[in-house]
Amino acid sequence: MPRDEIPPPPRTATWSERANAGANEAFAEAPPAVLRDGARARPLGGTLQQPASPRPKGAREWLRSHRRQAILVAFVVPSLAYIVIFFAYPLIYGVRMSLENIGFIAQSGPFIGLHNYKEEVHDPVTGKALIDTALFLVASLFFQFTIGLGIASYFNRHFFLSSFLRSLIIIPWLFPPIASGTIFAIMFAGQGGIIDETLRSLHLVHSPIFWFDSSFKAMFVITFVNVWIGIPFNAVLLYSGLQDIPGELREAAALDGCGPWQRFRYVTAPLLRPVSLIVIMLGIIYTVKTFDLVIVITNGGPDNGSQLMSTWAYTLAFQNFQTGDAAAVANMLFVFCMVVAFFYIRATRREVVIA
Amino acid sequence: MNRRVTMLVFWKRYARRFILPIGGLLVTGLMLLPIYFTAESSLEPSSAFQALSQTIVPSRFIFSNYRVAFDSEHASIITSLLIASGAVVLSVGVALPAAYGLTKLGYLRSRAVVSVAIMVLLVTQMVPGISLTLAFYKLFVHFHLLNSIAGLILADSTNGMPFAALVLRAYMGSIPVELSDAAYVDGASEWRTFRSVIAPLMVPAIITAGLFVFLFAWGDFLYAYTLTAGGNVTPLTKGLLTFFTNNTVNWGPVLATVVLAAIPSGLILSFGQRYVLGGLRAGALKG
Repeated sequence: MPRDEIPPPPRTATWSERANAGANEAFAEAPPAVLRDGARARPLGGTLQQPASPRPKGAREWLRSHRRQAILVAFVVPSLAYIVIFFAYPLIYGVRMSLENIGFIAQSGPFIGLHNYKEEVHDPVTGKALIDTALFLVASLFFQFTIGLGIASYFNRHFFLSSFLRSLIIIPWLFPPIASGTIFAIMFAGQGGIIDETLRSLHLVHSPIFWFDSSFKAMFVITFVNVWIGIPFNAVLLYSGLQDIPGELREAAALDGCGPWQRFRYVTAPLLRPVSLIVIMLGIIYTVKTFDLVIVITNGGPDNGSQLMSTWAYTLAFQNFQTGDAAAVANMLFVFCMVVAFFYIRATRREVVIA
Repeated sequence: MNRRVTMLVFWKRYARRFILPIGGLLVTGLMLLPIYFTAESSLEPSSAFQALSQTIVPSRFIFSNYRVAFDSEHASIITSLLIASGAVVLSVGVALPAAYGLTKLGYLRSRAVVSVAIMVLLVTQMVPGISLTLAFYKLFVHFHLLNSIAGLILADSTNGMPFAALVLRAYMGSIPVELSDAAYVDGASEWRTFRSVIAPLMVPAIITAGLFVFLFAWGDFLYAYTLTAGGNVTPLTKGLLTFFTNNTVNWGPVLATVVLAAIPSGLILSFGQRYVLGGLRAGALKG
């Protein structure tokens, strides 16, 4: 046999490739689009092209392969137990709490059905907390994403110091939120706070601004801080998304006469879509959970004017001693998060297929 | 046309070299300004109505703010260190075998089981802590875990464990499968393969996962605030809030405490940056 007919040496396969190879066999009869997509994942080397035997033949072999699976399941059991004890059980317990008339959190109370939910739906503070949470969410995400995208595209062109500065920008995201909240609470202080001093020295305002005396201003400060914390997260992930877009595509578009805006609109934006979706979904989840910022900056004040769903649930349980109502509010928040989670998982599934 | 070429040459030669770095410095500086003022003000004497002074460098360097902060918060720092380390051990200890099991189960074509498991891990990351902590409180009362470091380790791992499992699994998929096959052929049990072959190769991912779990637990406020009511276990986040609300006039020591609370972030940024960036991508985009 001539030497050049020997097939190339098999490339080392990784576990994910093997797993994908198994998936491709399962999809063997799927429409060509899937095949074409999977063909890339199919390793080139000969190691994986074993004769297709979807099911081991003998009963002994069947038992052996399943015993192996049983051992592997044992590796997963501790984490499964943790999830059952610390997620599933508390969530079910929380549903039970929301159906009971509980005052102080350590006590228990009689079953009252959906009364807590009914009461909370009609409660003005809960309604305001719901609207504020939604506005906080929309404003935070909009500014985090647009500013993060701006920073990501700026750093997408490599220049002197770019990787050093890029690594510094992530600091606000690594800070404990309570520390960031403290910094900004001091900066926004009504008299002598640096923001106030700066605005006055620039003659933009003439009397001190008391940032925490109205619901709107308080929510503005909380949103501002949350945007500041969220920008690095958006910038880092969007930057890595931009890096994955081949520069040739933009160059080709430029050669075809596309301006910067057109290049962004028709080349970058569509290719950045999957990453953007995931970044936005994660942003929603992180933002809707926000708790510490409100506690340290306004503690929900003035007059419950800056309560989010999370802090309102806390206040109901630990300060107003209406734990049943608190559980109802927390469960409403939970349902919202699960709706987002549903879309997140759908988006990541699609992303996995694309990437 | 000629003008365009001139512009292009100008851009390539000068703008890329000077304008872009200057703009980058401005953007980064603006983002980090609050942190800079915090560090700066923590090093100078604070006056009652002039926290975060507008001077660029301290007028007079003093360390008394740090001494006051440390005197008040040293117990909290130790508590937080213990909680965060405990959460790392628990989360990674549980997540690493899970990642191994899930990866190999996927390889044995139990794909449906694995996708469900990954979906569960993703969903658990999205459960708001407030929905859990009300039940935690009642359960912790029952099991005498309220106001305890052990209780906070268990609660804080709800943030870390699913994330660690996802990051570790994403990384494990890139390990050559021949290694495990070879160990299997040589007669090694699954446990032995895991312990002696795979786990040593996972060290970078373990560091990544560990750093994140540490940061999550170190920065946790919700559980620290709700599950330590009236007790003497005070993590640093809760200590900082108490210190802040009790010191509405003298902000120097508060700012020094903020700097102390941020030290792990700074250390991680200096020494573990590539692990953090890798983990951020793996945890969010893969999975």
